Amino acid sequence: MTYLLEARGLTRKFGGVVALDNLDLTVVPNEIIGLIGPNGSGKTTFFNVVTGIYGAHGGSVTFDGADITRASSRAVYHAGVSRTFQRSRLSLPLSIFDNIMIGNHKRLNQGLWFNLVRRGEFKREFEVNYAAARTLIEVFEPRLAERMFEPVAGLPMIDRRRIEICRALISQPKLLLLDEPSAGMTHDETKELMDDILQVRDLNRNLTIVIVEHEMGLIERITDRCVVLNFGRKIAEGPYRQVAVDRQVQEAYLGVE
Amino acid sequence: MPEVKQEPQAPLLPGVVAVALSTAYLIALLAVEKQPLVIGLLAFGIVAVLVAHYMDWLDPVGRSFAEREGVLSAYAVLAACVVAAFFHDNHFVLLLFVTVLLYAVATLGLNIEFGYAGVLNFAGASFFGIGAYTSAVLNTYTAVPHLLVLLIGGTLAALIGSLLLLPVLRTRGHYAALVTIAFALLLKTFLEVNDVLGGPQGMQVKGMSILGWSFNDNFEIGKIEMSFYLNYFVISMLLLCGTFVLVRRLERSWIGLDLDAIRLDETAASCFGLDIARWKITAFVLGNFVIGLAGALFGMVGGFVAPNNYTFADSLIMVSILLLGGIGNPWGVVVATFIVVVLPEKLQTIQEYRFLLYALIVIVVLLFRPEGLLPRPVRRYFPGGRA
Amino acid sequence: MDVGLLSQYIMNGLMLGMMYTLVAVGFTLFFGVLDIIKFSHGDVLTVGAFTGLATYIGLRSVGVSSTPLLLLAVLVVAILAMAALGMLIARYLVLPLRSAPALNTLLITLMLGTVLREMVRLFYPQGANPKPFPALLPTDSINLGQFNLRLDNAIMLAAGVTIIVGLRLLLNRTKLGLAIRAVAQDEETARTMGINFTAIVLITFAIGSALAAIGGVMNGLYYNEINFGMGLLLGVIGFSAAIIGGLGSIYGAILGGFLFAALQTIGAVALPFASAYKDVFAFTVVIALMAWRPTGLIQEKISERV
Repeated sequence: MTYLLEARGLTRKFGGVVALDNLDLTVVPNEIIGLIGPNGSGKTTFFNVVTGIYGAHGGSVTFDGADITRASSRAVYHAGVSRTFQRSRLSLPLSIFDNIMIGNHKRLNQGLWFNLVRRGEFKREFEVNYAAARTLIEVFEPRLAERMFEPVAGLPMIDRRRIEICRALISQPKLLLLDEPSAGMTHDETKELMDDILQVRDLNRNLTIVIVEHEMGLIERITDRCVVLNFGRKIAEGPYRQVAVDRQVQEAYLGVE
Repeated sequence: MPEVKQEPQAPLLPGVVAVALSTAYLIALLAVEKQPLVIGLLAFGIVAVLVAHYMDWLDPVGRSFAEREGVLSAYAVLAACVVAAFFHDNHFVLLLFVTVLLYAVATLGLNIEFGYAGVLNFAGASFFGIGAYTSAVLNTYTAVPHLLVLLIGGTLAALIGSLLLLPVLRTRGHYAALVTIAFALLLKTFLEVNDVLGGPQGMQVKGMSILGWSFNDNFEIGKIEMSFYLNYFVISMLLLCGTFVLVRRLERSWIGLDLDAIRLDETAASCFGLDIARWKITAFVLGNFVIGLAGALFGMVGGFVAPNNYTFADSLIMVSILLLGGIGNPWGVVVATFIVVVLPEKLQTIQEYRFLLYALIVIVVLLFRPEGLLPRPVRRYFPGGRA
Repeated sequence: MDVGLLSQYIMNGLMLGMMYTLVAVGFTLFFGVLDIIKFSHGDVLTVGAFTGLATYIGLRSVGVSSTPLLLLAVLVVAILAMAALGMLIARYLVLPLRSAPALNTLLITLMLGTVLREMVRLFYPQGANPKPFPALLPTDSINLGQFNLRLDNAIMLAAGVTIIVGLRLLLNRTKLGLAIRAVAQDEETARTMGINFTAIVLITFAIGSALAAIGGVMNGLYYNEINFGMGLLLGVIGFSAAIIGGLGSIYGAILGGFLFAALQTIGAVALPFASAYKDVFAFTVVIALMAWRPTGLIQEKISERV
């Protein structure tokens, strides 16, 4: 079986704390994986190591056949991995359109000459991408498509999440890493957001998703498979209904020794 | 392809009226010399702006500038020419005007570094000085054509600035600030102790001359005697227009977006593939080039360079202009440069206190209006038309 | 090189190191409690030195002539005035900007430095010129073979060491010190433990600024001259020293201060012909060190903070 993402023996320490402990985690194309576990179990660290924000202290990560263990964040993005952040990291003074375009970096011509001098060509490229951004955000919230050039700063949390997810999706990545999309939102808002994400996935059958989430209803509804972490180690793996009744998992969540 | 909603275009008139009134006011301010008149005129100006603000007359002006920028820029250039023509034989006013233009160019350069990429540079006056000293040395000892001298001045500022790139790139925020402050102090001390460059007394700079046309001679149009500073006005105006267009296009491109993204959140930017080092280097080198270019021309305009004109305090003046005008807004830079440069020249009592005054003003701005007089609007790639 | 000259260089290096350390410790304290850099710190030192000088002139003009009394008055007034100034700065300029971008704090303290510097230049009588600073310490010297120890230098060094040790004891052995360290460690937790955050910040700024006042007076006593721009140089060097040592660590600040002084002294010994370039050399070292070790020799996160 070919894996889209394959982590083997992945280890990361912070001082004396082992945040990821010899972790094996594999993702096959087109599946949706839930990454769950108590606070501090290493879920976000896993995202940060995969996306090159932190280096690994041991083990390897392979994505789409290429070793990305030591790759920079840039290289990981260019390979086709996009992510959202637990605490929304939009550029607040910038417009909705600008924020989405930040995620579209690899499909925009970054040449100095092109940008400063070839304004006609630039305008054509701008229009193509403007249309793409509108089409994408209309899936989530048509209202926002009419406000593309308003700053993000004044928008409510749910809209910011939508924009953040559009920023991650606009470049048509192969793998999307969602870090607690429900944080700061109500149950209904989260449900709506996930439905929208699934709708986008229906349009783009190549999209694989790893989602870190505490909202178990959500995990149960959308994931094909779950991986449960505790103290940086994998303690269970399988469909949600199976891991939910796992004794080790219950102990991890309840804090039983 | 979905169309951008077509809004009715903002009318041109408020912008034109604003440009016309500003021009008239500027001419009056530059013409009066008696101190009570100057003070009265300044007070009138402040009150007029406040009244306009409270009557909501400034919003239509802002809208017409936002959407009809091309036309209004042309009017603004025309207005500058009218002011220059009005004072065609007045050395003092024209020199002051040229100083404003070149300081605006330099601050636009600083704006690329500081306002867009977020690369701190507290040595703006030093790079300005590098340009000026380049003119002094090359015009004195070589026969390099003077337009080329300007380019060399900019290039040298960019190159010497590159020496700071490693520490500036490896550090963030306050650390980078320290590096550039140290450089500002270093350069001034170096110029003072170095005899080749004239030491504390500085050097004379030969005036500009292009294809035999000497910029330092008065000339006549028809029977009317013109100040030689009109030559410098023309070239400085060209330089300002060029820089303005450069900064505008930069901002309204993917590169402008990259610079903003890096300034606002480096970690997120690198997760979306942005090459942080590349854009910081581009901004720093380009910014210093522009500052050096303006400095090289300013050296020839003033005819004289000395270490005391390029101190850390002068660098802070450039930062003050940027903060006062509104970081990232080139119109803000131009307006604030007029205020900051013209005020102490007209109001002689504050000349001595200008560093103190501007430092205080910036403190007040930071506490109560951190976005500056003319806050930078959200980026529109093609304002006026669609989007 | 003869022993006498060498001893002079060493003494000079130690004195420089002590003054840099006093400034660097201030930077480290401020960074510890608030994670900010206060760029006006060097200029507070200038104001402290001028306050001391003004006190001296004022007391002399009313007939006080006892040197020990004058020295005491100069120190006490300078220290109290700068402590008060430090608290005012923290209260009205630094704390209000807590929620704004860090850049704004940097800019506001940078501009405040200009305000202080310019105020001294413009409003102190003939403030633009260097001012002679009185010799308030005994200037006798003791001959130890070829080594010529000046008593005033020895006293200043001893005083400096006492102050640093005292600060260390204050931070490690008192409840106040515990509170400061708690705030430096984790503001939120410190608050929940009932520590008055604002008060601790103000006290820390008072302590740091008082150290700058001592540094300023010491500078005047050592060089017998002060000028309005002295703090800018000392501030930049003190800040570099704090960074080299690893911001947030007092030992780092001491290490950085003396390391910097050592580099400067070695530079002066090795390149005597270039004495005019001594400040150029100092700033080059600052820039080179930033390029080499942007986060300092002792890494921020490992070193104990404050």
